[in-house]
Amino acid sequence: MKRYVIIFILVIASTFLIHAWLMSIGLFPIEASAQSVAVDQLFHVHLWLISFLFSLIMVTLVYSLIFFHRRKGETGDGAYLTGNSTLEITWTAIPLMAVLVLAYAGARTLGAIQVIDPTAVQVKVTAGQWYWQYAYPDYGVTSTDLYLPVNLQIDLQMTSVDVIHSFWVPEFRVKQDIVPGRTVELRVTPSLIGEYKVRCSELCGLRHAYMEGLVEVVSQANFEKWIAQQQSAAPPSPELRGQQLASSYGCVNCHSTDGSAKTGPTWLRLYNSSVKLSDGTTVTADDNYLKTSIINPNSQVVSGFSSNVMPDFSTVLDQTMVESLVAYIKTLK
Amino acid sequence: MEHPSKSSTLQLGIFVLGALAVLTAVEFTIALTVNIWQVLAVIPMIKAGLVFYYYMHIYRLFQADTEVDRESFAYKLATNRMGLWLFLISDSFIFGGLMISRINLLGLTRPDLIQVLGLVVTSVLLISSFFANRAEVSMEYGDHKQFILSTTLTMSLGILFLVGVLGVEWRLAPFGPETNLAGAVFYVMTGFHAFHVLTGVIFLAIVLRNGLRGLYTAEKHWAVEASVVYWHFVDVVWFFFYPALYLIGTLAK
Amino acid sequence: MRKLYSIGLIRGLLWQILGTAIGIGILTGIRILLHLPAWKAESAFVLGALLGALFFVYGIGAVDDWIKVAGGKEVHEPDESSWGSMRYFGVSLDHKVVGIQYLVLSLVLMVVGGSFAMTFRTELANTGMQFLTLMEYNTLMSLHGMVMIIGILVGVGAFMNYLIPMMIGARDMAFPRLNAFSFWLAVPASIILLSSMALGGFDTGWTGYPPLSARAPIGIQMFFLGVSLAGMGTILSSLNIITTALRMRARGMTGFRLPIFVWGALATSLISLTATQLIGLSFQMVMFQRLFGMGFFDPAKGGNPILFQHLFWFYSHPAVYVFVLPGLGIISELLPVFARKPLYGYKWVALSSFGIALIGFLVWGHHMFASGMAQYLRVPFMYSTLLVAVPTGVKFFSWLGTLWRGKIVFPVPMLFVLAGIIVFLLGGLTGPPNATVATDLHLTDTYFIVGHFHDTMFGGYVFPFFAAIYYWFPKMTGRRMNETLGKIHFWLMAPAFIVLSSMMMRTGLLGMRRRIADYDPTLNITNDHRVMTVAGFLVALGILVFIINAFWSRRNGEIATGNIWNSRSPEWQVPSPMPVHNYDKPFEVVGEPYDYGLPGSVYVKFMEEE
Repeated sequence: MKRYVIIFILVIASTFLIHAWLMSIGLFPIEASAQSVAVDQLFHVHLWLISFLFSLIMVTLVYSLIFFHRRKGETGDGAYLTGNSTLEITWTAIPLMAVLVLAYAGARTLGAIQVIDPTAVQVKVTAGQWYWQYAYPDYGVTSTDLYLPVNLQIDLQMTSVDVIHSFWVPEFRVKQDIVPGRTVELRVTPSLIGEYKVRCSELCGLRHAYMEGLVEVVSQANFEKWIAQQQSAAPPSPELRGQQLASSYGCVNCHSTDGSAKTGPTWLRLYNSSVKLSDGTTVTADDNYLKTSIINPNSQVVSGFSSNVMPDFSTVLDQTMVESLVAYIKTLK
Repeated sequence: MEHPSKSSTLQLGIFVLGALAVLTAVEFTIALTVNIWQVLAVIPMIKAGLVFYYYMHIYRLFQADTEVDRESFAYKLATNRMGLWLFLISDSFIFGGLMISRINLLGLTRPDLIQVLGLVVTSVLLISSFFANRAEVSMEYGDHKQFILSTTLTMSLGILFLVGVLGVEWRLAPFGPETNLAGAVFYVMTGFHAFHVLTGVIFLAIVLRNGLRGLYTAEKHWAVEASVVYWHFVDVVWFFFYPALYLIGTLAK
Repeated sequence: MRKLYSIGLIRGLLWQILGTAIGIGILTGIRILLHLPAWKAESAFVLGALLGALFFVYGIGAVDDWIKVAGGKEVHEPDESSWGSMRYFGVSLDHKVVGIQYLVLSLVLMVVGGSFAMTFRTELANTGMQFLTLMEYNTLMSLHGMVMIIGILVGVGAFMNYLIPMMIGARDMAFPRLNAFSFWLAVPASIILLSSMALGGFDTGWTGYPPLSARAPIGIQMFFLGVSLAGMGTILSSLNIITTALRMRARGMTGFRLPIFVWGALATSLISLTATQLIGLSFQMVMFQRLFGMGFFDPAKGGNPILFQHLFWFYSHPAVYVFVLPGLGIISELLPVFARKPLYGYKWVALSSFGIALIGFLVWGHHMFASGMAQYLRVPFMYSTLLVAVPTGVKFFSWLGTLWRGKIVFPVPMLFVLAGIIVFLLGGLTGPPNATVATDLHLTDTYFIVGHFHDTMFGGYVFPFFAAIYYWFPKMTGRRMNETLGKIHFWLMAPAFIVLSSMMMRTGLLGMRRRIADYDPTLNITNDHRVMTVAGFLVALGILVFIINAFWSRRNGEIATGNIWNSRSPEWQVPSPMPVHNYDKPFEVVGEPYDYGLPGSVYVKFMEEE
């Protein structure tokens, strides 16, 4: 009996100690979204559970190792205890109930973070190897950085142009994989003004580690200001616009502008040059050729290069964007 | 327990073939008329049940093991049976995975295939299973001539099935594996199945050759039983693949 | 020359080279005839690798007897007692030899996979890329995962094949030739897997998700093929284990009188017999997408990338129970011996292995909570995942009950058993945060997950694996492993590993993603990474000490031919090393396996010659 009392006390003490220690070593990033509050609450439930169960098992284990250690010269076996059905049923039933309660709490939290606000600000996210592109359809604005107004729900409508990526801002706590060929949704309500980073969380190829982008949470007033700025910004020349697009859509990851060999043909002196295709024919790289290369690359693969590597831009780049890119390529003499 | 006579066992085989044929006719008719997928999904299960019980004698796995001498042929036979069935259980997971893929990718659509050809190759495989059963029963009763004849017929029909699927249907299909999803699903399912039919034919060829040399007796013919049970398994897989590819749903795109 | 060719492994490798060349040649020839680009064609390498593996198993002689039977000839079991140590390099029908072959292969794979980890851990000690290119990093990281997984499957095969016939009183496995074949398939499979490094590597992680894997370099095909072949070996091995355990037991060995390890092995084999086919299928479907343009997972053709994840995880989740159920069985097996007490609640422990296996088939979606799969699936998978904790808890409480009021001793195997319990506890406790969807959305694809599964793998497999080797080494060789070196191995490995996995979890919570070659210095986890690298090297050092110990002890270890652990298990009732056909006299089971502390109780009684 005395043993059980000692263990009980030690377990309770250890639970509190371990929990306090876990809370002190800084395990979580700051809470910067409304969702993060609910998620962290659930995390804290888990931390208590972990502290308690760890203590329960470790205290009993260490106690046994110390007090039921064979002393020098001792012979004979341990106590002949084969089992106890009541105990077995108890330590099956209690965890079973705990599991059901925890699962229910988990379901409640999931519901809480998925609440839909019909007035949410819509942002279209395009992910590709290895960049992030944002568009604000309500305002007709595009950006390579994610500007968000604080305390408003954001409805991220996300698609990928090539492989699976994943949207994650640790301070927001929520994550969503972005699958090519469909649009996925993630809703988050930023709650703390500041600068954060979105970090791609699904291995997407070579530069996955560097697929991070700026997320700027600003006051609602400053957000309106930023939108207005983007809308009234003098449109750059087609050539400049094309250069920006070539960078922000990752074209330059595969097509060099200085003649060096990469995954795709170089753009240096490409315009109006003679190009040999994989089917043996030779064509001139005129405007039409360049346009087709962007939106339907597999129909005319250059000899020595592979088909089915270039992402599908046909639904992502509109007519004007394609023309800007062509204009830019023409400048590379 | 009364030991059934050879003629009654062979007759049973004919009744089972009849039942399978009727069920196949029913599913073909339903597909071309009301096309209720739930019915078309259940009929293969009934066919499979008949084959598992009457042709593959799955109940032998559960018969009480009176033989205690581990070195005896009877004990080793029961051990071999367990090994074979475990192998078939494992193999069925590949086909299950392919079915899941077909359901996920095509839903209630199906590839554009030649219905008459589908019915013909299905019947060919069904009849080959009938002869496989005859071959095994003949061997059980020591009728070597019938065994040789039936095994040869089984193999021939199996080869005919392969010609029908790989030689004809694959050539005539209006799509290739790369054309669309229906094509990809069709070729991968029939490809995996055909590979198993081919290995089944090879297995039967080996058993036929050894049978011709008189290696098997009514008491000892495990290889015959194994090759026949494997053959029936391959037929059961087709019971599910046939409606999945030919019958269920509307034409894709 | 002829002497070299008589060694099975050499013969197998030569034939593998031949088969590879023939395969490459055939497909290159066909492509030339069809006017397709023929140099270094992907399909040529695939056919080459496949034929190479088939030629290997033929060349080593693993299919000779079956070919004879097919030809109508008789086959006999050779008398291997005069073959000497060369029989470990060829086809042996003795399950003890096959078990040790599996053991050596698993250690080789562990060292290879571990050195990949050491390499990229060194790279990760600082931000920025130091000496690896991005493709090299991704390849090493991906291979670390899969090589370790194959190493674990092979190691699990080692325990099960070595121990089960002995524990149940059988002469050998039910299908000895199948046993040898299953082992030898793993060798070319591993070679093919590693050959991916020579074919451009691959950048997909061990999970090989399309569309990324559909466009990865050719190395990915070697990855897919190597895993498929290894998987086939696992399946055949499981078939053998189940049949052996059900059909070859000694008289009186009813279900609840089986050694507990056999229960774990049966539950394991049920999973690996069936679910493994799904990883093979999912990988083969990507292979076909690449080779034949079949658009299963290609969005441009209407394919579904998430279908791959369902097929893949349907195996790969139950697979982790394949990895840990045998090790947990080892823990249950050894605690009674070292506490001198019955296994507490034996029946419940036995059934809990099946409970874990069965529930384990129903939880795979928890790897896909953020994947974009159907929303309504997330909550059910959360419930089923949390449910696995219940039978797992039964095991933990039983272990505590076994130690309570025992007379505990601490030889080296016991140290590793205890480390297994503690580390598996850490792994198990970090499961629930991953299981509840809302918290998992923060944790998935971060280093938290990496820490969680390293804890569960080390606790459920690695530590029990070492415990088992230290424990049964005398049975294999007639000598003990050195206790001092064993303790050094333990104290180098266990604390360092706990630090390593704990830091993994911390960095993950703070923002460190998985599978990244470089990390953001502003996360302030650079020091954590340095600690992790050092800890990793300490673990490696511990394993090096173990390997030295194993080699040294084979020749110079203290002679140990009797029942040095005073175990009730049948294999310890006969001398060590184990006699060639295990039991010259059969035994009958007359009591319970774990009745330590019950005076006069006997488990097995050997029968006199009739």
